Amino acid sequence: MQKFNYFLAALLGLSIQFASAQVEKGSVLIKNATVLTVTKGTLENSDVLVQDGIIKKVGQNLNAPNGVTTIDATGKYLMPGIIDAHSHLGLDVVNEATSPIVAEVRMKDMVNPFEVGIYRALAGGVTISHAMHGSANVIGGQNATLKHRWGSTDPADIIMQDAPRTIKFALGENPTRVHGRGNGIQPRTRMGVEAILRNGFNEAIQYKKAWAAYNSASSQKGSTAMPPVHNERLQTLADILDGKIIIHCHSYRADEIYMLINVARDFGITKLVFQHTNEGFKVAPEIAEYTMGASVFADWWAYKFEVYYSTAYNAAILTENGAITSINSDDAELIRHLYHEAAKTQRYGGMTDEQALSMITINPAKQLGISDKVGSIEEGKQADLVIFEGHPLSSYAIPQMTFVDGVKYFDIKEDADDQRMKVSPTEMVEPVMIYEGHDSRCMQDTESLFETTESLFLLNQ
Amino acid sequence: MKKPLLYAGVFCFMVSGLLSSTLALAQSDPTGKKPITDTYAITNATVFTSPGQAGMKATVLIKGGLIQGVGSNLALPKEAKTIPGDSLFIYPGFIAGASDVGITRPKDPDKPDDFVSSNPPDEIAGITPWRSAVDQFSGKDSKIDDFRKVGFTVAQIVPEGGMIPGKAAIVLLGSENSTNLLMENTALAASFRGSRGMYPGTAVGVMAKFREIYDNTKLTSERSQKYNTVAGLKRPEITPTYSAMQEVTTGQIPVMFTTSSELEIRRAISLQKEKGFKLVLTGLEDYEGVLDVIKSSGVAVLIKLEIPDDKAVKAMKDDASEEVKTLNARVKKAYDDAIAQASKLEEAGIPFAFSTVGVKSGDIMKALQKMIESGLSEKAALAALTTNPASILGLAKVAGSIEKGKMANLILSTDSLFTEDAQFKHVIVDGIIYDYETKAKKKASQDSKGDGVVKIEGNWEYTSESPAGSSGGNLVIKKDGADYSGTITYDDPSGAGTATSDIKNVVLDGSNLSFSFDVSASGMDITVDVSGEVSEGSYDASMTVGEFGSFPFKGTLTPTLIANK
Repeated sequence: MQKFNYFLAALLGLSIQFASAQVEKGSVLIKNATVLTVTKGTLENSDVLVQDGIIKKVGQNLNAPNGVTTIDATGKYLMPGIIDAHSHLGLDVVNEATSPIVAEVRMKDMVNPFEVGIYRALAGGVTISHAMHGSANVIGGQNATLKHRWGSTDPADIIMQDAPRTIKFALGENPTRVHGRGNGIQPRTRMGVEAILRNGFNEAIQYKKAWAAYNSASSQKGSTAMPPVHNERLQTLADILDGKIIIHCHSYRADEIYMLINVARDFGITKLVFQHTNEGFKVAPEIAEYTMGASVFADWWAYKFEVYYSTAYNAAILTENGAITSINSDDAELIRHLYHEAAKTQRYGGMTDEQALSMITINPAKQLGISDKVGSIEEGKQADLVIFEGHPLSSYAIPQMTFVDGVKYFDIKEDADDQRMKVSPTEMVEPVMIYEGHDSRCMQDTESLFETTESLFLLNQ
Repeated sequence: MKKPLLYAGVFCFMVSGLLSSTLALAQSDPTGKKPITDTYAITNATVFTSPGQAGMKATVLIKGGLIQGVGSNLALPKEAKTIPGDSLFIYPGFIAGASDVGITRPKDPDKPDDFVSSNPPDEIAGITPWRSAVDQFSGKDSKIDDFRKVGFTVAQIVPEGGMIPGKAAIVLLGSENSTNLLMENTALAASFRGSRGMYPGTAVGVMAKFREIYDNTKLTSERSQKYNTVAGLKRPEITPTYSAMQEVTTGQIPVMFTTSSELEIRRAISLQKEKGFKLVLTGLEDYEGVLDVIKSSGVAVLIKLEIPDDKAVKAMKDDASEEVKTLNARVKKAYDDAIAQASKLEEAGIPFAFSTVGVKSGDIMKALQKMIESGLSEKAALAALTTNPASILGLAKVAGSIEKGKMANLILSTDSLFTEDAQFKHVIVDGIIYDYETKAKKKASQDSKGDGVVKIEGNWEYTSESPAGSSGGNLVIKKDGADYSGTITYDDPSGAGTATSDIKNVVLDGSNLSFSFDVSASGMDITVDVSGEVSEGSYDASMTVGEFGSFPFKGTLTPTLIANK
């Protein structure tokens, strides 16, 4: 008996390991939907066949192979999973705010698959979010692109492993407030921000050279070359210079946006996306020409001084000027109805359905470097899909089912009252915070840095 | 941040007592404390030599700090002092896999004038791998006796500090006249704790910094090696951090990562896989979800010897709405599951030991009993306290079981180990016998006269003993319906005179009365828990002051002049 138990335990142990080594992929046939492919037009009464997580066939009168579930979506709309290019969901720590450059920190280290906000995002049709470092530093940490595989307990299983590396930059008030005003170090002004960037990249060039020199010398026979000091921070900046990492830069004002475009051009960097970009409409042609576009709010501004000069027409103006434009949430509440946020560009700017939907699907996919895999309904792409009751850009739209890699992770009919995966044994009912106010996550973990400033402020009152 | 403050406070509170309490014994020993023999025979006791072994009637002979023999036909030398063990149960002394007993956190060094928070010196940023727990350890800490009293004889002491506080050591909880040191530099302590207001300030920064230190330690060794063999090279920059980290990068000692939650456990294991160091996980509180990860990684685990507090579970009300009841049921399940986790480790076949860092000694037996109630076998519980830590710490040759030649570290209990009535009459450490008072357990007053309800309301006078001397005051207990409330007076710790606090959580369970109160001293609060037996107007209890130890507390109910209705 004991032997048998041991055998069973070993078997179970093995199967668990196997499961965690590979994420689940599903097969499903969705029939008779209005398919909003985003890139290939709208297909009425069409079917989408998914096998092993991949869209195998889009067409009419498709049959389900053996063992594949069929879902009748007559009268419903099917669109690609919504992608949020700016989020802080599922992260235990958002800001390592203590230094103007912290390129070495990795948000992938801090992924928390238990955060119930991930499920709420699924309920809003969002299948991928860009889990970003905060905006306290000129050069923040490296971000993680998450696939919302709710129910996974291993952080590695919700990280989109085939997405390229991205990194957070931030300009303007946040980094100057934290470091200049809060801590009395550079940068205190926008000029200081630019100096930090240029110095950082120049140091990275030196660092790269030092290692290249050492590596070539040490391959010689009898080399006495000493290895340089390892510096992950500079190595990451060198990777940016080598085009291995996409920059996502928190920015508001046209002058600072244009400044970063110039810095990038000087250092030969082309993989650059602007985040927030409230004054993007003033430099839209430049953004279109030199960068991978802008990811903006539909209509959110005036929460601090640098965000007053704003317009709800921003996304439309950027789009009309040829800039890749996406609409993001930066917020655990907004992420639940990004389809409404996209629809606002139709009211303010007259965007077509396709343009509006692109802003929450294929465009953010392009900005995250994953548009060859997701962001539209095309054969060969990963089957991240949402079924809507009502057109997703209508005020009456309600997501019904959300799939990631063909696996259904949300179904409005199976939505339980309490969807939390983990419950604290020592707290009655955990406080639920949906709206925390803007900047609460972006600037999370930076509170201690303001103590001095705040006490001085109180003294002078 | 809270902890160092508390330490500072209680340190002030007790320091006067510590300074005067003990002088080293002079050689001629006028105190009479020097034992007349170091040979003892505990005769005819029930001996459990190691986990899983049935108790056998035997005599245990101890000499010179070592176990000389266990058996029924031992020849006892003349100098042996005999301790009749007929009613005693003997177990191997407990070993704490990680402990903060005797440890005082060192004062943070002053920040230099040119301090920059984005690039602080290692020492200020909590990166002090060169420090040793030995330097932070005091054999005179009252917590040593607190832990010895509940059976601990050996502990791996862990230094306090930031992300890399320093190296652990293994000590005996023995005589205060010995260093008690068994092994130094046994592991490098580490945690995901950032430094407040400087780099690295958060767990994500700590992970990046850990990688950076690790990689540069290896590069520094490489440079030093070259420098020592080839002439004409530039001097490599050697720092205390890199020097002290070398034992880790060369695999001589493990990193002992404090990881309380399953995500932290995964983070530590992912660092270990990335860099390849030896790893021990300590302070585990929430780990049921990662048993497979722990098992396949093969790392040693030290789980926190504590169960979650039951405040949330106790606060549940029967008249709650259905929705709240459903939510409460999940909390209750989470609570039950948390206690049953240790048994899941056993089921998964993962040998584990305990960490007592941040644990109150008085809560330990209760926690063990709860774990056993929830499915942990007594054998596994005893193994986690003896043989498992011995093998994790590399002490299996000298400790962990009752065998000839091993250290004489024993528990002499009045009853079978994990039963509620078990009391430890003697704990033997390194051959030295420590005697503890045992009380004849009274059956909760059913068989005494009256209605069986113990009366506690009224005015009590109490005295308490602590290293700071004895003190006392008045305790007033009132009955409000089914609950009790009241006040307590005590010597004001922040100055002269007396202070008064409300008492809370007053619970009368049979004849056991427990309550707690908050003392505030120089701007911080310390919770004092008191628990003990009430018997005919007298209260024999022990008082636990935060994590700093427990002390005797005795009360007498003063007769009232008003007739009871």
